[in-house]
Amino acid sequence: MSATTAPPPAPAPAPQTQAPRIGGWIGAATSTDHKRIGLNMAACSFVFFLAGGAFALLMRTQLAQPNMQFVSDDTYNQLFTMHGSTMIYLFVTPMAIALAMYLVPLQIGASAVAAPRFALAGFWTWLSGGLVMQSGWLVGDGAGRAGWFSYTPLSNGTNTPGVGQDLWTIGVILAATGMTVMAGCITATIARRRAPGMSLLRMPVFTWTELVSMLMVVGSFPVLILAMALLYLDRHGGHIYSGFNGSIDYQDLFWFFGHPVVYVMFFPYLGAAAEAIATSSRKRWFGYVPFVGSIMMFAALSMAVWSHHMFTTGGVTNQYFAFTSTLLVVPAGIEYFDAVATMIGGSLVLRASMLFGIAFFVQFLIGGLSGIFIASPVLDYHAEDSYIIVAHFHYTLFAGSVFGFFAGVYHWFPKVTGAHLREGLGKLHLALLMIGTNVTFFPMFFLGEYGMSRRISRYSTHPGWGTTNLIETIGAGVIALAILAFLANVAVSLRRRIPAGEDPWEGHTLEWATSSPPPAYNFVRPLPPIHSYAPLLDLRHEAEDRAREAAGGGVGA
Amino acid sequence: MRVSAVPAALRAAGVDTRHEYQHLFSIYVPIAIGVFAAIVLAMGFALAKYTRRSPEQAARWHEHNPLEGGYAALLTLVVVFLLYLTFTAEHRVDTVANQQQPAVTINVTAAKWEWTFAYPAYGITHRSGTVGSEPLVVPTGEPVRVNLSSLDVIHAFWIPYIRDKHDAIPGSTQVITLSFPRAGTFQGECAEFCGLRHSDMLFNVRAVSPAQFSGWARSGGKAPLP
Repeated sequence: MSATTAPPPAPAPAPQTQAPRIGGWIGAATSTDHKRIGLNMAACSFVFFLAGGAFALLMRTQLAQPNMQFVSDDTYNQLFTMHGSTMIYLFVTPMAIALAMYLVPLQIGASAVAAPRFALAGFWTWLSGGLVMQSGWLVGDGAGRAGWFSYTPLSNGTNTPGVGQDLWTIGVILAATGMTVMAGCITATIARRRAPGMSLLRMPVFTWTELVSMLMVVGSFPVLILAMALLYLDRHGGHIYSGFNGSIDYQDLFWFFGHPVVYVMFFPYLGAAAEAIATSSRKRWFGYVPFVGSIMMFAALSMAVWSHHMFTTGGVTNQYFAFTSTLLVVPAGIEYFDAVATMIGGSLVLRASMLFGIAFFVQFLIGGLSGIFIASPVLDYHAEDSYIIVAHFHYTLFAGSVFGFFAGVYHWFPKVTGAHLREGLGKLHLALLMIGTNVTFFPMFFLGEYGMSRRISRYSTHPGWGTTNLIETIGAGVIALAILAFLANVAVSLRRRIPAGEDPWEGHTLEWATSSPPPAYNFVRPLPPIHSYAPLLDLRHEAEDRAREAAGGGVGA
Repeated sequence: MRVSAVPAALRAAGVDTRHEYQHLFSIYVPIAIGVFAAIVLAMGFALAKYTRRSPEQAARWHEHNPLEGGYAALLTLVVVFLLYLTFTAEHRVDTVANQQQPAVTINVTAAKWEWTFAYPAYGITHRSGTVGSEPLVVPTGEPVRVNLSSLDVIHAFWIPYIRDKHDAIPGSTQVITLSFPRAGTFQGECAEFCGLRHSDMLFNVRAVSPAQFSGWARSGGKAPLP
């Protein structure tokens, strides 16, 4: 389908509802339908999320009291390595790609993803990477144990010998390769498969956040893949990362991926929260063009801030990276302005998706503001590698991205399954998650300030540390309850279905203009005309105006 | 170099990293709390005022570029202000401190999982971590030069009380200059994960008056510390 055909709203010319030829498990595993690939990836990512959460609960148990030996030091080192690696390589990042795989073609009125067999291969490559990484638990010496960024020389063959660390390295290579291929497919879909009338500046906010994220994946993940391939060679006698320069080179290469990925793990969830808030405010997202500009500025800067992870090495120009990092205040501030301005003047409906969206912005703000703090080298000299950092990035990734993810889940679950999630359980889920998150992560700022460094498996009896850590461990238990409430909600909602219909929220974007779940090739009826980034809201406004005119009043300004 | 030959009156006071940190902290954190409060209040206002309105009451306006442009300019000014504070503080901590004449130079060497504190001018070597618990002894108020290096993997030399930390990376020596504003015993630790017994890579800092330090150092570390 050409993206540049005549302007009138043409129906998607692709074949109509055509059932997949192979059914059952094999059909589901080999389908090239972008919705099936996206759902498979989302499901696998979520299972990895539960596994990573279980690792965290074991760690929190160990830390509940001073000098505990619930697990051995070596096991603890494997747990935090695999917790971080699982959450980043196997949950938050791939979930962002899974959401894009499912939703972006729908939002831009496409019938399929571009290069669907590549997308399918990418999914399986990523999943095999995840399984290879986790298979480290099964080998004699255990899983990877050098941290999710596995700095050299700690991660080389001398200092961390063993198959587990090799499996970790290969797992990262495979997972990152798969995600890069999928990101390429999504980028190509946006470039080539937009419906007639869907110009770049009429793409929904969520699609924009995904486009920017996928460009960052394509731009930065290959660096990780090569850095890890070189690490593998180094581990097997290659002497790649030797001496001081080798250590710094590894960190530069790693964080050249490692910082952009932070925003890959942020933008799509920002987009999900934005769609949930705009829809439930019955008002289109405020400041679309500045918003698009700001996330592009955000993405560009985020490719130029990586060495703020290296302020304490003495091997980088701290002022430059402090400058680019602090500049992130500007685009981030614009996004908050837009979120607030979208709500003001709206007609707000406080559904679970909306509340999760608001919670995303409020909770992430603590992560964002603490990020400005540690963008200052003098402040970072204290904060780096302490629990201040642990608190900071959990406020961005957990209190931010995971809340945005759930906003998206509550927003799009009816579209994907055709059934509503239960609102009451959803609000319980939100309340538990907010309590658990803040009780777990906020005290970490204080522990870090008073000298607790990250990644220690034991700590001695400092005044207050035992109590503070115990409170955090209880908070982690509350997070686990929140996740159970969510799983219960999904189970109940799928067993005793409350049909959602095509457009339960009065959505703004094209995915709400087809059945729930959408059929093969997505759209049966002709698409509505696309004059803005909220085409369905345009239709409702036209209908309102017509009704007002018919009633004798003037057309709304 | 026997720096103790320099008259005390001519020596510069050390750059107090704890003070620099707390000065920045006292500006950054109130700004952050203010921004957090402003956004939460704005969202709370929207929730209070615009919930339970009929759908037709939802406004249709959706952009105001001059307002957002002005807001972005304001944010840029905030960035400039924060960077000015940060750069001036970093200049003192990193550049000025390293240009000062030190009262003592200590070679700090990290290795799995121990710290070696060598005082070449006095022939003293202390070790701490999994192999012992001899403290890092420093004079108060004066610049203490530290040549930081590692024998195996990356470690980080962190003394939370003075709010300062730097990495010990094998193959190079990082030169830093510390200052301890008051006497006391402070906890120090390795902050960069370095393998199996990372949690045990601890040490104590004993900061004593310059006179006491001088007596301890001249005795080759044999004179008892206060």
